Amino acid sequence: MIHFSPLDWMWLVLYLVLMTGCGLIFYRLGKRSEADFFLAGRGLPWWIPGISVYATHTATDTPIWVSGVIYKYGLRGLWYTFFSAWCAVAAFVSARIFRRSLAYSQAEWQSLRYSGLGAELLRGWMSGWGSFLNMFILGWVSMAMGKLCNYLFGWDNWIGLIIPSLIVALYVLSAGYWGVVMADFQQGIIAFFLIVFASIWGVRVAGGPAGIISKLEALGESWRLNPFHFSGFFSGDFPVAWFLTMIFIAILGGFGMGTSIDWYAEAQRIQSSKTVRDAAYSIWWGTALTLTRNSFWAAAIIAFFVLYPGITEAQQYEMAWYRIAFEHIPSGMMGFLFAGIIAIHFSTISTHLNLGAVYLTRDIFHHYIKPEASEKTLVFAGRVATAILLLGSFIYGLMMEEITRWLIFALWIMGAGMWLPNILQVVWWRFNSWGYLSAWIANLGFSWLIVWILPAFKLIPELPDYLQFWVLMVLTAFVYIPVTLLTPPEDKTHLAKYYAMTRPLGWWKPIKLEALRLGLIQGEAK
Amino acid sequence: MINKKKFLGLRREWKPEEAESWTKEDWVAIIVSPIAYALLMIGLALLIFLKLEGLVLFLLGIGATVFLHYLIDPKLKAVSSEYEKKQKEYLERLEMVVRWKENE
Repeated sequence: MIHFSPLDWMWLVLYLVLMTGCGLIFYRLGKRSEADFFLAGRGLPWWIPGISVYATHTATDTPIWVSGVIYKYGLRGLWYTFFSAWCAVAAFVSARIFRRSLAYSQAEWQSLRYSGLGAELLRGWMSGWGSFLNMFILGWVSMAMGKLCNYLFGWDNWIGLIIPSLIVALYVLSAGYWGVVMADFQQGIIAFFLIVFASIWGVRVAGGPAGIISKLEALGESWRLNPFHFSGFFSGDFPVAWFLTMIFIAILGGFGMGTSIDWYAEAQRIQSSKTVRDAAYSIWWGTALTLTRNSFWAAAIIAFFVLYPGITEAQQYEMAWYRIAFEHIPSGMMGFLFAGIIAIHFSTISTHLNLGAVYLTRDIFHHYIKPEASEKTLVFAGRVATAILLLGSFIYGLMMEEITRWLIFALWIMGAGMWLPNILQVVWWRFNSWGYLSAWIANLGFSWLIVWILPAFKLIPELPDYLQFWVLMVLTAFVYIPVTLLTPPEDKTHLAKYYAMTRPLGWWKPIKLEALRLGLIQGEAK
Repeated sequence: MINKKKFLGLRREWKPEEAESWTKEDWVAIIVSPIAYALLMIGLALLIFLKLEGLVLFLLGIGATVFLHYLIDPKLKAVSSEYEKKQKEYLERLEMVVRWKENE
C-alpha cells in the first residue's frame, strides 16, 4: 500500500476536474448528429485521432503485459509488442481504402464490400461480435484497474472496477466521441510524459545506464540488452521461426481489415479524420508513439530486473513497471503518477464504451430496427447503448477470472485462420461473403481441433503458437477457397460502386473495367 | 505540361486523378514504414542505455521517417483533394444503404 500526501491528492483532483470538464464541454457538439456522436463529424486533423490511438492502446493492463515479456525475454520482448507494426502498412493501404468507404464501422464496411444476404449476415454477425468484444475488453481493463487499486490502496477490487468507469461514462454519455477524443488528447499527452518521467527515474534508481549494464554483466545476463538474441531457428524460448512469423503476420496484416483486434478502434479514428491524408497519419503517428512508449517501459523493466533479479512468479514480475514507478518516485509526485495511470485507464474505457455503442446503434438499431430514425433518436440510442455496455462491462469484470481463458481462445480464433481472409477481402475482387463466412466457421472448428481436442487425445503434439498459426491458416484455406470459387461472385455493379469509392489495391481489373463501363470512374483500362 | 519533380527516381508531384492509382511510390512507403518503426523502437531502447548502436539506429529511424513523409505526403494530399470532391455524394449513398433505400 502507498500513502498519498496532500500534494498527491491535489494532482489527482485537479486532473479529474480537467478531464471530465474537457469531455463535458463538447456536449453540444456531440448531440448534433449520429456522425458527431460517433465520429466527431468526420472533421479532425490527424494529430487528434493520432494521440487518441496512442492513448487508447495505453491501458492499465498494458504495462503489466509488457513487464511480463520484457522481464522474461529482455529487450527481445520488444518484438512481442511489435505486432502493432501492422499500422506501418495499414496507414498507407487499408486506412486509405477504409477512410474512402466512409463506413462507421468494420461491420458497415462489409455491406459496402459485399452484397445481398451474405453481406447482411456478415454485418449482423460482426456488429454483435463487436459489441460483445468491446464489453469484454471493458470488463478486462476495468478489472485490471480494480487489482491496481487493491495493490495501491487495499480497496476491494469492485471499487476500482466500477468507480472510474462511472466517471468516464459522464463525458462519454454526454458528448460521445467528441468527449472521447478530446479527453484522449490531453490524457495521451499526460500519460506519455508520465511514462517517460517514471521510466527514466527508474533507470536512475537502478544505477543509471552504466550501473545497469555492469550489474547485468555481473549477473551473467548481458544478453538482455540484445534484441536479436535468438535461441535457435526452431528451438528454445525465442526461436527465429517465431520472430519471422510475427513479422510476417504484423506487416502483411496491414494490407487487410480486421487482422488485429486493435483494427476496430483504429477504424473509428481513421473515419473521424477529416481527409484520407489525416487518416493515414493518425494511425502512423499514434502507433509510432505506442512503439516508442514501449522502449521507455522496456528500459525501466530492465532496471527493475537488476534490482530484483530471479523472480519466477509471473504475477510478481508482471507488476515490474508499476513497482519501479510507485516504489521509487519522489514524494509529492505520487498523485501525478496515479493521475497518469487514471489517464491511460480513462482513455481506454471511453474508447470502448463509444466504439461498442457504434455497433449497437449504427449497425443494429439504425440499420435493422429503425432505419428511418431521426438524428435526435439516433443520438439518444447511442447514449442508451453506451449505458448498456457500461453495465455489461461490470458484470463481465466481476466474472472475468472464470471466462478469461475462454475469451482468449475466442480472440485467438479470430487471429489465426481469419488472418488471410481479412486480407483477401481487401485485395481480391472475387473473394465473396460466403467465402468469408465459411472461413469463420471453419476456423472455429479447426481451432478447437488443433489447439485443444487433438493434443488432449495425444493424436498430435501440442504445437508452439507460431506453428498453430501456419497450420490453421492453411487448413482454413482448404475450406474458404473452394467455397468462394463454387459460389457466385458479388454483384458486379455493387462492386464497381465500391471500387469507385475506395480504389482498392490488388486484383480488381474486372471491376475496374465495369466501373469504367458504368462511367463511375474516368481513365483507360490498363 | 506538369513538371513532375522527382527524388531518387520517385515522383513528388501528382495530378489528383493520377494519384488515385497505386504506384511504386506507395510500395516504397509500404517497405520503408515498418523499417522506420523497428529502428525507432529498438534504437530508442538502446539509446536510453547510452549505447552507440542505439544512437545510430535511432537516427536511422528518424531519417527513414523523414524520407517516408517526404515521399508520400504529396501523393496523399493529391488523393485527399480528389476524393473530397466526391465525398458528399458518397455519404448520401452510405445513408441510403443504412436505410435500405439503395436501388441497385
